Order: sequence, then C-alpha cells, then structure tokens
Amino acid sequence: MKQFITRRLGYSLLSLLVLSLTIFFFVRVTGDPAALLVEPGASEDDIAAIHQKFGLDKPLWVQYGLFMASLLRGDFGQSFYYQTPVFELYLDRLPNSLLLALVAMAFSLLVGIPSGILAAVRVGRFWDSAGKLFALLGLSLPSFFVGLVLILVFSVYLGWLPSSGSGTPLHVIMPAFALGWYFAAAHMRLTRSSMLEVLGSEYVKLARLKGLPQSWVIGKHAFKNALIPVMTLAGINLVLMINVAVVVETVFAWPGVGRLLYEGISFRDFPVVQGVVIMGGTMIVVVNLLVDLVYAVIDPRIRLEK
Amino acid sequence: MTTRRDVLALAALGVVAGAVRPAKAAAPSGQVTYGVHITLAPTWLDPAETAGIITPFMVMYALHDAVAKPMPQGNPSPSLAESWSAGEDGLSYEFVLRKDAKFHNGDPVTADDVKFSFERYRGAAHGLLKERVASVETPDPQRVVFKLKNPWPDFITFYTVASGAGWIVPRKYVEKVGDDGFKKAPIGAGPYKFVSFTPGIELVLEAFEGYWRKTPSVKRIVLRVIPDESTRLAALKNGEVDIAYSIRAELAEELRRTPGLTLRPTVGSAPYFMYFPEQWDPKSPWYDQRARLAAKYALDYNTINKALTLGYSHITGSVIPENFEFYEKLAPPVYDPDKAKQLLADAGHAGGFDAGFYTCDAAYANLGEAVVNYLGEIGIRAKLRPLERAAFFKGYADKKFKNIIQAASGAFGNAATRLEEFAVKGGNYAYGSYPEIDELFPLQAVELDHAKRAAILAKMQHLLDDRTMYVPIWQLAFISGVGPRVDNSGFGLIKNYVYTAPYEDITLKGV
Repeated sequence: MKQFITRRLGYSLLSLLVLSLTIFFFVRVTGDPAALLVEPGASEDDIAAIHQKFGLDKPLWVQYGLFMASLLRGDFGQSFYYQTPVFELYLDRLPNSLLLALVAMAFSLLVGIPSGILAAVRVGRFWDSAGKLFALLGLSLPSFFVGLVLILVFSVYLGWLPSSGSGTPLHVIMPAFALGWYFAAAHMRLTRSSMLEVLGSEYVKLARLKGLPQSWVIGKHAFKNALIPVMTLAGINLVLMINVAVVVETVFAWPGVGRLLYEGISFRDFPVVQGVVIMGGTMIVVVNLLVDLVYAVIDPRIRLEK
Repeated sequence: MTTRRDVLALAALGVVAGAVRPAKAAAPSGQVTYGVHITLAPTWLDPAETAGIITPFMVMYALHDAVAKPMPQGNPSPSLAESWSAGEDGLSYEFVLRKDAKFHNGDPVTADDVKFSFERYRGAAHGLLKERVASVETPDPQRVVFKLKNPWPDFITFYTVASGAGWIVPRKYVEKVGDDGFKKAPIGAGPYKFVSFTPGIELVLEAFEGYWRKTPSVKRIVLRVIPDESTRLAALKNGEVDIAYSIRAELAEELRRTPGLTLRPTVGSAPYFMYFPEQWDPKSPWYDQRARLAAKYALDYNTINKALTLGYSHITGSVIPENFEFYEKLAPPVYDPDKAKQLLADAGHAGGFDAGFYTCDAAYANLGEAVVNYLGEIGIRAKLRPLERAAFFKGYADKKFKNIIQAASGAFGNAATRLEEFAVKGGNYAYGSYPEIDELFPLQAVELDHAKRAAILAKMQHLLDDRTMYVPIWQLAFISGVGPRVDNSGFGLIKNYVYTAPYEDITLKGV
C-alpha cells in the first residue's frame, strides 16, 4: 500500500509539473501583455518599462524558474492588471464559485441521477427517449444561450429573479441552473449507461431470481454500484464548475473564479491565468488521488497492479 | 497674444464658476447603480497611472479632482485652481488654487500636493511633460508655477486635458501609505469618497459633503461590472442598475423601444476612418487618388449610421475630433456609387480590383463588414480581417498592415497632436506622408500666436482632405441607457465625454 501511495503521489506531482509547463508556455503564445497595459502608440521605453516591471524581459526559462520557485513557496505572483496577489484574488472569488458550483452540482445530481435511473429501467420506452432528448439538449445547448433565455424569461418578462450579480439566494438560481444543465445531462447519460451495465450483471439477475421486489433490486443492488462512476465524475465536474464556469459567470456577472480566468485571458494577465489553472489542476489531481486511494482500499487488486 | 487672452478668459470663467457656487445643498440621499461594460482596474483609482484612454476618467471624475479639467463650462475649465495665467515669454504658467478645496481626509489641497502629483505622475504623456517642464515651484501654498524649458503652446492641453498629470493626490497620505496602499484605500479631492473596491467586480463610493463645487445630491454611487451587453440591458430593464453603459445596434433599438428607459447617445472623440497604407507605392491601385476617392464615394454613410448606431454617430469629413482645439470643419463625405464607379474606371479599374485585406479592430468589425460590402458594390473586392484589439494596434503601430486599414483614435490632445501621430512623417501611425504637410508641421509647433497657428493647422487638415490620405467615416456615438429613477444622468454635460459627469450634478427623481 505504501508503494502504491508513493507511486500515485509521484504521478500526481508529475502531472502538476507538466501542467505548470504547459500553461506557462501556452499563455505566453497569446501575445505581449504590455500591449494591453499601455495606450496605443506608447513609446518603446514605456513598453520596456512594463516588461522590466513584470520580469518579462528575462529569458523564458528564467521566468519559468522564478515562477516555479514562487509557486513552491505558495506564491502565485502578482496580477499584471489588478496589481494584487493572485492568491488573494483567487480566495476573494472562491466562496462565490463554491456556492455556485455546489448549487449547480446539487441540481445536476437531483435531475441527472433519477432521470438516468428511469431511462435505464424503462430502456427503449418513452422515459428512455425523453431522457435521451434531455441529454441531447443538455449537452448541445450552449450555456450562454441557456443563460440569456433564462434572463429574458425570469428577469425581463416575469421580473422574478435578478439578472446578474450576487448577494442573495435569488441571485444564484439562474446561474446554477445554466451551469448545472449541461452537467445534469452528462450525469444522466452516465447513470443510464452505468445502470444498464449493472442491471445486466449476474448478481442483479440472482437478486431477481430470488424474487426480491423491483424497487429493492434497483435501489439496494443496482443503484449503489452504478453510483460509483457517477460520483467519481461528479467530483471532477465539481472542480470544473468551481474553476472554469467562464461563460456562465460572465453572462450573469457572477463574481467567481471562472470570470477571473476570463479577465486574466482578456488582459493577458499571465499570473492570473497560471494561478487559476494551477489551482484547478491541483484540485483535479487531489480528487483523482483520493479516488485512487479509496479504490485501492476497497479493491486490493488495484493496489497490486504494477 | 491671443493664446494668453484665451487663457485669461478661461481663468475669468473659472472665477465666475467659483463665484456662482450655490448655497449649501440638502444632504445627499439615494443610490445610483451603474452597469459598467469594462473591467474596473485598481490603476484607475490612482491618477498617477492614467493611460491615454477615456475609461479611467469614469472613476477619476468621482474620486479625484484636477487643477483644471473638461467641465460643462469649458474644456479645460478651472477646478482646484480658480485661475491660471501664462507668462509673457510663454515659458511659465502660474496656477492659483482655491482656498476651500479639501481632500476626503479633511486636509486642504495645497501647491505642494500639485507639485507632488506632477512629479509622481507616470501615465500617458509623462515623458513629454517631464521633458519640457524645467521645474515646478510653489511660492506659497496657494500658488504653483510651472517653468518650461522652451515655449510650448500645448502645455495647458497636455497638463489639463491630454493626460492625468493635473489630477491631484494628497502628498502626506500617499507618502504614509505608499503607492499600493493608496490604490487599496485612495483619498482624493473629488465629489465622492472611496468606500470599497472588489477588483473587477464593483466599486462603491459615497458622497463627500465637503466638496468645494457643490454637495453631491446622490449619497451612494455603485459601479458594477456587467461584461455581457444583453445582461446589462436586462439589468437596466429590471431596475437592478440605473445607468447601463454601451448598448449597441439591435440592443440599442430594444432599449429605445422600452417604456421608462431613456436612450442616451454621446459622441466621443474617436473618428473612425479608412486608411490606405500603400498609397505611396506606385504599384498599388491605391497610389491613384481616384481609387481612394472612389472608396470615399462608395459608402452609404447614413444607412450604416442608422443600422449600427441608430443614426447618432456624426458623419465627419475629418480624422480630427470635432471637439479638439484647432479642428477644421471639412465637408462630410457623400454617397455617390455612380461617381465612385466612374472614378474607378478613370483610374483604369473599370472591372474593379482585388483590394486584399480590410484590417480592423475586432470590436468594430460590424462597421468593417458594412464598409466591405459597400466597397464590393462598386467593384473593390476586400476581405474583412478583424484582429483582437491589442494585436490590431500593435500591427498598426509596427506598420505591418497592407491594403486597407480601418482605425480610430480616442487619444486626447488637439489637432496638432493627432496630425503628428497620423499624418506627419515619423508619426506612430503614418505609413507615409506628403511633403507639403510635413513642411507645415514644424511651423505650427513653434507658433505662439493662436490665430496663426490655427491657420497653419487648418491648412494641414485641408491638405489631408485634398490628397484623400484618409477616408473619414464617422465620429462614433457611444450609446447608453438610463433607468426611470434618474432625473439628471450627467450624460452630455461635458462635451464629447461619453460617460456621466460631473457626478455631483447627477440627481434622482423625487429626491
């Protein structure tokens, strides 16, 4: 087990290293941030002063070394645009993103799991077709479109909900729906396929042969096992909802991490983009690591695999 | 000299402006919430970092005050200085500060603060100002004297209008908290004091009852960033914001149709134009002036204006903004496709020609699309190439573009500064030049007689038009919306300023 944990930790650190390299170099492909921090036609001296101020005049490998050294000290750097520590900005926005993500996740699970079970149990019939249609719409309707339709109906026509911002429980309803809509469809599809797989397994057949009631077979035997991949996906999706809900947070002017990422990209604010991506990546790696460890505890075959 | 007479006249206006100060107003009340279209930056809280764009002034007009600044009475108009005068030799400018101006912490605004703010300034045009100003002297707490190295007729323009150098911060406080501390909790001398700032999200300000000009009527101002245009309009309709900036095209039409909301178009200082960077290359079709004239006659300016800005933009014959000093009014272009086709035929392009790329800032690709279509109608076949804003301006300034460029400039200044950038040899955006225009430029730069200088600059503008160096399209209207609670929104009070100001003049209905 110790060896397994060491190996998994090693993979996780390697993933983060690759991520840091990728985002560091990718973000620099977008262009020179100085061009966005000076007025059009600014002198070469002004641009050079900005390069010097932010350390952009140093060779790339030196910049990367400094970035990694700061990162290891827990310092994500200073935002070019906001001139504030990135970690401070991130922490300011994180509670809003957590709230939005948790509500959206609750919505997506409450809708996605029951509809997935229903579609699997009634496979090939009306509820299955309705579920497939729901999944199709959920995965294909862009969230900005869903968001704008929601604003039009519930804010402009009905006047029930605020169109943008945060601060009250009413503010979170529409962005959570727009964000959760896509994930509800994804969870529905996975629940359906997972349930179909489990429902066809030997032990479920045995349970039925034993004459157990249908609700007992589905609830006690099938659902519990079908839920494992859904919850694994939900964990990863929660991290995505927290960190990259860029479109929904922008449409609803929701002050979260996704909007911070959007602002970072718009202003070529390298430290902000790097910080948000590294934080998101770290969360995903940690969730994956925990899932791996839990699997290893449950199933000894996993930890014995080379 | 005329320059000094003008300056003294403005100074007198300032004395009058100060003299008509109203009696103490009622205590401020209520709140005005703005739906802002761009991300608020902390640098906007500090005048020292004012970029040469209009957006930081959205915050500065509330939080800070300037020695002199554009106001409804004039551009510039005395503010913290009640008057100013120029020395006979054109080498010094003296400002007399008003005695009743205070910062939000109660400290008086002094000459020392003015000197400190100037020396600390590192925003747009700081290099130019520091290169030409020999020293700043403070003979007493109410007087500041700027000594120049050489006569510079544009000093007042650059100090008060074309930069943030004349916006004043409190020396003692800045030295105590440092630059970063100042951005986190700024103290100014403007009509509103700082309450809170969430970077990129919201700025909250509260009325400063000790403001010298008048006590603001509205107690609280909230500038809330709503990046999406449709959401901003929805928030305005829903009463979540009282003023929504930048609502364009179809959404502006929707705003106009909505009962209770008021459309407020303001024409800024940014004329848009077509430019032909290859007009000096004999191999290019644009070398022939008739081709450039054909492009000028090809556009249905009024239809484009109605479709994209509801007819509120100003069709202009000049690349100089109409509110700039030394602006010369030229005949606006007219739509005449037959004449355009004839000109093309005369230039040897009866069947039209492939014009290559029409490069523009992606934010204004809608204008580019319309222009490319009209050019196509007379046979000038161009392909629209919208570029992200920074990439566009970099490519434009680096002189990388060919064929046709659609551009604009919102930079501050006067006709001379604009011509220097866009039309004179060596200008940042001049891909070429005409000797007769180049020859006139140095003459006006040293001319202290205002009338004679104006005549030279007018001649330069006519020459620009005569050569069809540019095809001006319009001076863009910035369209915003105002909700039913607002009485005086402050739009249009300051000529060609696109945001609401002065903030102390904004009022709510029934308050």
